Amino acid sequence: MIFFFIILFAISLIYLALTERVARFITLLIIQGILLAGIAYWHLKHIDVIHLSFILLETLVVKSIGIPVFLNYLRKRNRLNRLNESKVPTFVSILILSAGLVFGFLLSNYLQDTHIETIFFAVAISSVIAGLFFIISHRNVFTHLIGYLVIQNGIFLMSLSVGAEMPMLINNAILLDLFISVLVLGIFINKVGDTFQNLTVDGLSQLKH
Amino acid sequence: MIAWGTILTIVSSLIFPGIVIKTKATLEGRKGPGLLQPLFDIGRLLRKGSVYSLTTSLIFQIAPVIYLASVVVAVFFIPFGEAPGLLSFECDFVFFAYLMAIGKFVMIIAAMDTGSGFEGMGANREALYSMLVEPAFFILMGSMALLSKSITLHDFYTNLYSGSHLTYLLVVVGIFLLIEIMLVENSRLPVDDPKTHLELTMVHEVMVLDHSGFDMAVIHYTTGLKFALFSALIANFLIPAGASLVVQSIVFLVVQGGCAIVIGISESFRARNKMSKNPQWILTLSATALIVFLASLILTHKFILP
Repeated sequence: MIFFFIILFAISLIYLALTERVARFITLLIIQGILLAGIAYWHLKHIDVIHLSFILLETLVVKSIGIPVFLNYLRKRNRLNRLNESKVPTFVSILILSAGLVFGFLLSNYLQDTHIETIFFAVAISSVIAGLFFIISHRNVFTHLIGYLVIQNGIFLMSLSVGAEMPMLINNAILLDLFISVLVLGIFINKVGDTFQNLTVDGLSQLKH
Repeated sequence: MIAWGTILTIVSSLIFPGIVIKTKATLEGRKGPGLLQPLFDIGRLLRKGSVYSLTTSLIFQIAPVIYLASVVVAVFFIPFGEAPGLLSFECDFVFFAYLMAIGKFVMIIAAMDTGSGFEGMGANREALYSMLVEPAFFILMGSMALLSKSITLHDFYTNLYSGSHLTYLLVVVGIFLLIEIMLVENSRLPVDDPKTHLELTMVHEVMVLDHSGFDMAVIHYTTGLKFALFSALIANFLIPAGASLVVQSIVFLVVQGGCAIVIGISESFRARNKMSKNPQWILTLSATALIVFLASLILTHKFILP
């Protein structure tokens, strides 16, 4: 089952490049959160109940419900419908993300460490690449936030790929980091939206005057 | 019994378009035409003579027949359960893919032969979409070859489930891809809308605007046959090995009907893509097929790097 969820997670990365509607971005993040919860449950079901419940709470409640609800609030408040301001054509984006997947696969092959599970690692690396690419190829702050969350999902998957159980402290740190970042960026988006009437980062250069 | 799969595919191709139309009509709250209405329409067209423009040449006249012949020969390669197709040899899936391409190629040059700007535009788009969807089909076939450790279309299906049980999960994605490839190959929603009446937005329909009578009947029937052909590829994933011929035939026909209903439902609720969005949408299929291929490499422990 883990295998299937990871495949679906990888497909969701490709569809992220195809998407333009903000609501669809949020739906994809919800799907990724649910998939990560499924992967974490099947992968870590042998660990103690408290740790497992915490991880499931983190993926299901925070990633699939909390953050998407907040993003939806931002979308409505700033009247965001479409994000088609990418500097790179979608066709090229899909090619680059596919190349990212191949790179992730080759890297995990190259490492061939017994502690690394190939498919986890390949998709995790691809997710990080996809998130980074997303941030550098878009001008909109909202898309940067989406890219950041995709990187975060990749890091979560990577922590599962190394096979070790995630200590509670690291989990707490990741969760806190995620929460604060989304909150800060959310407030930032609202302020940018109020001041410049659109969310492209080009407008930020006016601040220096 | 080698020909049984071919016979069933040809039989199901006769009512496939009817099921699609009936499903769409039902979902729209209409009674709709009967299941055999498309077949009656083909019969009516067959009785009519063809009209040829003076600007067209022999290519335009023979193209529909070559189109039909290429798809009929491709049907001969479709296996049925444990039985191979009427034709089967090593790497036949490559031949199969290029048979489909030959049909498309002659229809494209026939459209160019008319000298019409609209038909040339439709031919241009059809060629682009076919070119973009081809990698998805080949990558999918490559994945099946890896998983089944064989290189014939028949062995793909018979040896597919002999390895890891995780193959079943990849088959789900494979079926999804084949359905989408079928929609692109047959120029249906979301890539093209057969009901559109504006030449500027047509893809396949504008290519066949100058065909009439017998030729039009052949083109219509070939569309149904292509649907049945791709559905047969999907059905072979699901036909239980070792079951009796009756059970296998029932499963085959149910899958054919299921595919037609899925297309009807999808066309009722799906919006057509903007023309400029089509290439990237089709490329997504190749990217998804690539994921299946990489997963197959991992499953079969094929490591590329030392």
